Parts: sequence; structure tokens; C-alpha cells
Amino acid sequence: MSILKMSFTGRRSLALTATAVAVALAATGCGGDSGSSAPTLPGNTGLGGDGVIAQSVYDAAPVATDADIPAGSAMDAIRKRGYLNIGGSLDAPLLAQQNPVSGTIEGFDADMAKLLAKYIIGKPEVKTTTIGTQTREAMLQAKSVDAVFQTYTITPQRATQVAFAGPYLTSGLAVGVRKDETSIKSVKDLAGKTVIVGANTPAVTALPSAAPGSKQIAFGTDPQALQALLQKRGDAYVQDFTLLASGAKANPGMKVVGEPFTTEAYGIGLNREDTQFKEFVNNWLKKIQADGTWAKVWEGTLGSVVEGGAPTPPALGSADGS
Amino acid sequence: MDALTAHLSELGHGLVTTVELTVVTTVGAMLLGIVVATLRIAPVPLLRAIGTAYVEVFQNLPLLALLVLFVFALPTIGITFPLFTSAAIVIAVYEGAYLAEAIRAGINTVGVGQAEAARAIGLTFGQSLRHVILPQGLRAVIQPIGNICIALLMNTSLAAAVGVVELTQAANTVNLIEAQPIAVFTGAGLAYMLLALIIGQVTGLLERRLAIVR
Repeated sequence: MSILKMSFTGRRSLALTATAVAVALAATGCGGDSGSSAPTLPGNTGLGGDGVIAQSVYDAAPVATDADIPAGSAMDAIRKRGYLNIGGSLDAPLLAQQNPVSGTIEGFDADMAKLLAKYIIGKPEVKTTTIGTQTREAMLQAKSVDAVFQTYTITPQRATQVAFAGPYLTSGLAVGVRKDETSIKSVKDLAGKTVIVGANTPAVTALPSAAPGSKQIAFGTDPQALQALLQKRGDAYVQDFTLLASGAKANPGMKVVGEPFTTEAYGIGLNREDTQFKEFVNNWLKKIQADGTWAKVWEGTLGSVVEGGAPTPPALGSADGS
Repeated sequence: MDALTAHLSELGHGLVTTVELTVVTTVGAMLLGIVVATLRIAPVPLLRAIGTAYVEVFQNLPLLALLVLFVFALPTIGITFPLFTSAAIVIAVYEGAYLAEAIRAGINTVGVGQAEAARAIGLTFGQSLRHVILPQGLRAVIQPIGNICIALLMNTSLAAAVGVVELTQAANTVNLIEAQPIAVFTGAGLAYMLLALIIGQVTGLLERRLAIVR
């Protein structure tokens, strides 16, 4: 009857382990349903129908001449390797989201990367490395990726670490609220409110000046932030307009109020030393803007949730730092 | 370096939150650990089963998954805690399983004769635990407990994923402005290292003062 010996009986502990595993599995399964909210993941509406670029857009897209690609350049290395190695995301609806059925990555950023690959190699072969927003500069400096396509906002501080081709897209921060919310009509109404933001998004730094006195809570991913808004952890969700629009389309419980209150210029992040590659990418952007490819990509992706036709592409070099 | 010095107040706030989270969860996990270790050696089979189930469940689920479940799944059934509280509860519950095992190892070092002697002089299970078994058992595993506390400190960084602005999240935010990940995260890493060294020193001191040399 020692109190010290009684805890070890092999068979019993094995049975309990099995029970514990079953409990654990049940708990995880439950999370899949309600926690990360897979059925309401924004952007799923676009899969299969809109949100996908027609093959003809790739077929018609330009390919660089041999004269554009000098031997020994970064472009030459990419062409020899046979694929473009980019840093990006898999979970950004309409920008770069992996289609769970086909496995391909769809959205504005992903398609731009494929078109750049086609321009260099002749076929849209891209290998995407998913990277966190924390490590983009380090990845580019170490040349672990050729380019970053990840709604990478051009800022003067970042431009001291990396080179930005573009901007290739402009958007802005807007305000999303729950459907029944009536007191918040624009960013001006956010003073004193609790505002959900995506960690490492421009909202973190833009909000204190746009809405003084607001309190921030940051979540790691866009689906988490949306979920937090619907679960009333905050009064509003400040995020890029395009992401909010796709979120609102997939989640009837939320809506976007007011107009975007900032202008974000997104650039293609490149290694800072390689000025030749930056010029090459800028030339490519000029070409696809001029021949209408850019507008077709926009209409197929972001255009599927934003009213009105494709906007005028941003002027190259127009952002401070590009 | 400028990237760090220009944002000392944000990083300082993050550091304070990390220390608070570590202290609160260490105390909580220690209490839970003692309770669960006691359950695992209790004379009642049902209590032992509860103790074993606790340890097996929480040692076999990733902390990040638990955090995300607690923060995003519970509100769907109407239970919402503030974020800091959520993170503190989950980390304490998770680390409690590891501490329970360390404490149980300590209890196993106490000679069977001690427990028998305690019972022979008429102490109840609770009394022999409180006055004889636990005091000796805990003193035998000060170093392992210290190591788990260091792991706990590192695990508090996962709270950043569910919206708690601790040191890692503060470093993320600063890096967002400065775009110098290597400088910013090296600074944050050194701060974690310093905290871990402090825990190590305290553990060493306690070990020298309290450990029973056999």
C-alpha cells in the first residue's frame, strides 16, 4: 500500500494514453470547425470561378529577348535554373492563396510572379517559399529568394535594406466592422475604440496617427483577425481595402465602411545590390502595363470583389523608396 | 543598433509583459503541477487516472494549437477571456503537465520507508504529502524545474500569435517600421537570454541552499 508504487501499472497507463489521444484528436477536430473557421475562409468564393486568371493571359504574356538577359546576370541564373524562386504567402485571398484542390497558388501577387517567370524563362514556373513578414529583408539580403511578391509596402526605411521594383499595385487601409455596427462610419470614429489589426501590417503604424486614442490588438493572420472581429474582441478591423473586401464577400457578418484612408504602394522586393535586376523588372512592369496584361490580372483577381473596372496601374517609381 | 535604441519604450513594454506572463504562469503551472503530481500518486484509482489523462493530453498537444483553440474556439460557445488572461491560462495549464512530471520524478526519489514511516506515526495521505513527501521531493528536482521554467519563458513568445504584445510581438512591430530583422531580433534574443540566465542563477542558488545531498 505504498503511495509511491501505486502509480505504475503498465496496462492502465497505456489505456489512458489511448484515451488522451482520442480526447486530443477530438479537441483538434473541433478547432478545425470552429476555431480557424475553415468554411468561412475569405476568398473561397473566388476559387473555381472568379479569382483565377484565364490561360490565354499567360499565353499572350511577353517573353524577354536574349538581348534583355545578359550572361551572368540574375535573370540568366534564373533562366538556367528553370524556375523563379519567390517569397510569398499561401493564405492571402485574391493576392496569393493556394487552391486546396489544384494546389496552384492564385491571386494578384501569385499571378504577377508567374508572369515574371514567363518573361524570364518562357514558362510560368514559380517556386514559392512562404516567408513571414519579419524575415523578408533578411531573405532578400541572403539571396534565399529572387524576389518577394507579398503586398510588400514600399517605405523609405525598407528601401535602405532592399530594392523595390514598381510600385505594381496601390491600395489603402480601410475599416471593417460587424454588420450590426452603426456608430463607426469611417476611420474618424475609431477614437477610443478597440481596433483589430494584422500583426506586421501597415495598420500597426498608421492607426495611431489616423485614429488617435484607439487601442490596438494584433493577430498573426487575416483569418484570425476576421474571426476576432466577428467574436467581438474589437470594434473594428483595419486592414488593406482589398483584403477587407474579400473578407466581407465571404463573411456576411461583416462590412467595409468608408473609403481607404491611406495609400499603400506595393513593390516587388529585390536584392538591394542588384540594380540590373531591378531595372529589368521595372521594364517588364512597363511592358505588361502597356499591353493590358496587368489590367487582365487585376480584373481576374482583386477586380472580382471590387466594383468598377481595373484602375490605372501605378506609375513606376512614384512611391518614396521605389 | 539605432533600430533598437529608437524603440526602447515599445521593447521595454514588451519585456515587462513577457516577465509578467512568465511570473504569473510559473506560479500557476507550479501549483497545477503539484496538484497533478499528487493526483498521479494518490491512492484512489480515479484520481490517478485524472492525473495521467491531464499529463498525456497537455504534453501531447502543441502549445500554439492550444492557444489558438482557447482564443478562437471558446468564444464560439460564448466564453471569452481577455487575451493576456487567455495566454496565461493556456501556458500555465500546458507547462503544469511538464512540471507535474518533474515533481513526480522528485517524489519517486523519496524513499518508500519515508512514506511508510509517515503512515506509521498516524499521518493521513495529505499530511504525509505535505510534511514528508513533497518537501523532500521538490528539493530533489530544483534543477529540472528551473529548466522547465526557462522553456516556459521561451514559450511565452507564442502568445504573440494570439495578440498579446509581449517581447516577440513588440520586436515584430519595431521591425515593421525599421525593416532590420537581424538587429531587432538579435536584441530581443539577447533579452530572452538574459532572462533565462537570471532564472538559471536563481535555480542554482536554490539548488545550493536546498538540495538534499544523498
